[in-house]
Amino acid sequence: MSTIHDLGYQRYVGTRRTAATRWRVIVRNQLSIAWKTWWRYKAVLALAVIVTFVAGGFMYLASDQRVRAFGRAGIPQMMKEVAIPVALQWYCRIAFLLSLTLSAGVVATDMQSGAFTFYFARSIRPVDYVIGKLAGMVLLVATITLAGPVLLAALRIGLSGDDTESLADALPVLLKVFAIGGLATLVYAAVPLGFSALVPNRRYALALWAAYYLVVGAMAIGIGYATSHSLGALQLPSAIEAVTLRLFDVEILHGLDAKVPLSAGLISIGAHVVVAIGLVGWRVRAAQQSGVGGAT
Amino acid sequence: MSDLVELIGLTKRYGPITALRGVDAKVDGKIIGLLGPNGSGKSTLLKCLLGLLPFEGTGRVLGLDANREGPAIRDRVGYMPEQEAMLTGMSAVELCAYAGELSGLPRTEAMQRAHAALYYAGLEEKRYQLIEGYSTGMKQRVKLAQALVHDPEILFLDEPTNGLDPRSREDMLELITEMPERRGCAIVLSTHLLPDVERVCDHALIMHEGKARFVGTIDELRGARGRDTELAVEVKADAARLADALTAAGATCVVMSPVALHVDLPVAATSELIFRTARAAGLQLRHLEVRRESVETAFLRVIGQAA
Repeated sequence: MSTIHDLGYQRYVGTRRTAATRWRVIVRNQLSIAWKTWWRYKAVLALAVIVTFVAGGFMYLASDQRVRAFGRAGIPQMMKEVAIPVALQWYCRIAFLLSLTLSAGVVATDMQSGAFTFYFARSIRPVDYVIGKLAGMVLLVATITLAGPVLLAALRIGLSGDDTESLADALPVLLKVFAIGGLATLVYAAVPLGFSALVPNRRYALALWAAYYLVVGAMAIGIGYATSHSLGALQLPSAIEAVTLRLFDVEILHGLDAKVPLSAGLISIGAHVVVAIGLVGWRVRAAQQSGVGGAT
Repeated sequence: MSDLVELIGLTKRYGPITALRGVDAKVDGKIIGLLGPNGSGKSTLLKCLLGLLPFEGTGRVLGLDANREGPAIRDRVGYMPEQEAMLTGMSAVELCAYAGELSGLPRTEAMQRAHAALYYAGLEEKRYQLIEGYSTGMKQRVKLAQALVHDPEILFLDEPTNGLDPRSREDMLELITEMPERRGCAIVLSTHLLPDVERVCDHALIMHEGKARFVGTIDELRGARGRDTELAVEVKADAARLADALTAAGATCVVMSPVALHVDLPVAATSELIFRTARAAGLQLRHLEVRRESVETAFLRVIGQAA
């Protein structure tokens, strides 16, 4: 039996995509892989949609005249104020779930399966790989941590009074959610990706990330609370909440996280993101310079 | 027209270890066997030629400098690695289309060529299955298809028949043999399996201890001693009598069996001497051919000389 088959082969003579734009192919592949199975992204997205509906429902109810008249003084207004900050906390929890199903295993999976050889035997540069993977994760995480909050902010603006003064009061909310959502997106896209570059095994990478996020984070916030030290900012959700609380200035939410100063929160976020991207870059560069190996 | 591969004093050092020691070679041909024992520098040489490792000296592929124009080379060269180099969670057709796009093909073109490459590699019916479920032979075929999809001018195949059962190995060798004609690409085949080289290659580059020990055609390798005077002869019967008669005529003979002998003709003699002698002795010749070394023997000789 001959195995030679041919569908009328002709040499390709058309134009080729420039090398500088090939990272976009990696981004598109990231999105396609994420969308392919229900558990990687769709389930997490469904959770974000539920949070958006619940928070939006609270905001809608709080702005209803009958509820305002029925409710005790200040409670409907308070519901309206806290809906977005509370929803942001939930979006972060959902983004953490997404990191466990997707981002914290990306580079480790590639190392494990020998995909670096697949990439670097072509004219893909390490920087294309890093940008492609990071941008793909940013887009996916942004649909959780940015799109939801922005929708809620838009709803809040829509529910504000008809007068110019109410609108002017509500508009800054949009900027605030862009700032906080943007930071959260960077954190939940880049930091798990950095952890995925630590070890060439997906399970270990996931375990390391989860342990850092949950255990080390809890220890840091506990020590920070006991010693009134900025160490608590090492816990990423607390660092993000420090920014949220400062921007929204919602007293009722203040708890342990309030012990994390804004500056410490911002420094922690920045440092985590920079170190994570650096780690991915270092790992990929090292793999490429060693002449790319196969599967581990 | 430039050579496929041109190496001038190519040296690669990993710290104190020198993997390639001033390799000089001009390589051309349709299917070139890159041979050498373990640690001889074959894989390092392939990586240098792909522009993945910096090196000293000159290394050109299709006229492009591998030190400076690695990405341009990789756009025109396909690489089938020895190790597993797949992406998880993808079907073969998705993987090949992705490979094509990463090599610069437009999306639609990449998808069309992915189907064609998989069809060519004999995976047309299985191309929508996830690669994780493939057998070793099917994975080898996918690796070949992903290396082909962007229409390379040279294909570097690193141990393409490793781990294959005899049937799959035959299929893979058949694919390799047909490729230069059907797809117009040259092949550099790095392998330990010398029978594979003997079967498919027309040229060889033998590496040993980081140096090129032989570059040329397979015929040159096998007949590197430059002699067409060593012949294998079969007669109907009584090979010993023919041996005696030929020895009397100045040849050197070794009787291998009652019907077979090896003859080393004297200088300036031709095979006509054997025909005449056999006729005179009343013996019937059944078979006569020039004795050549197998690639394996020639390889061992080249390596032995180097040692």
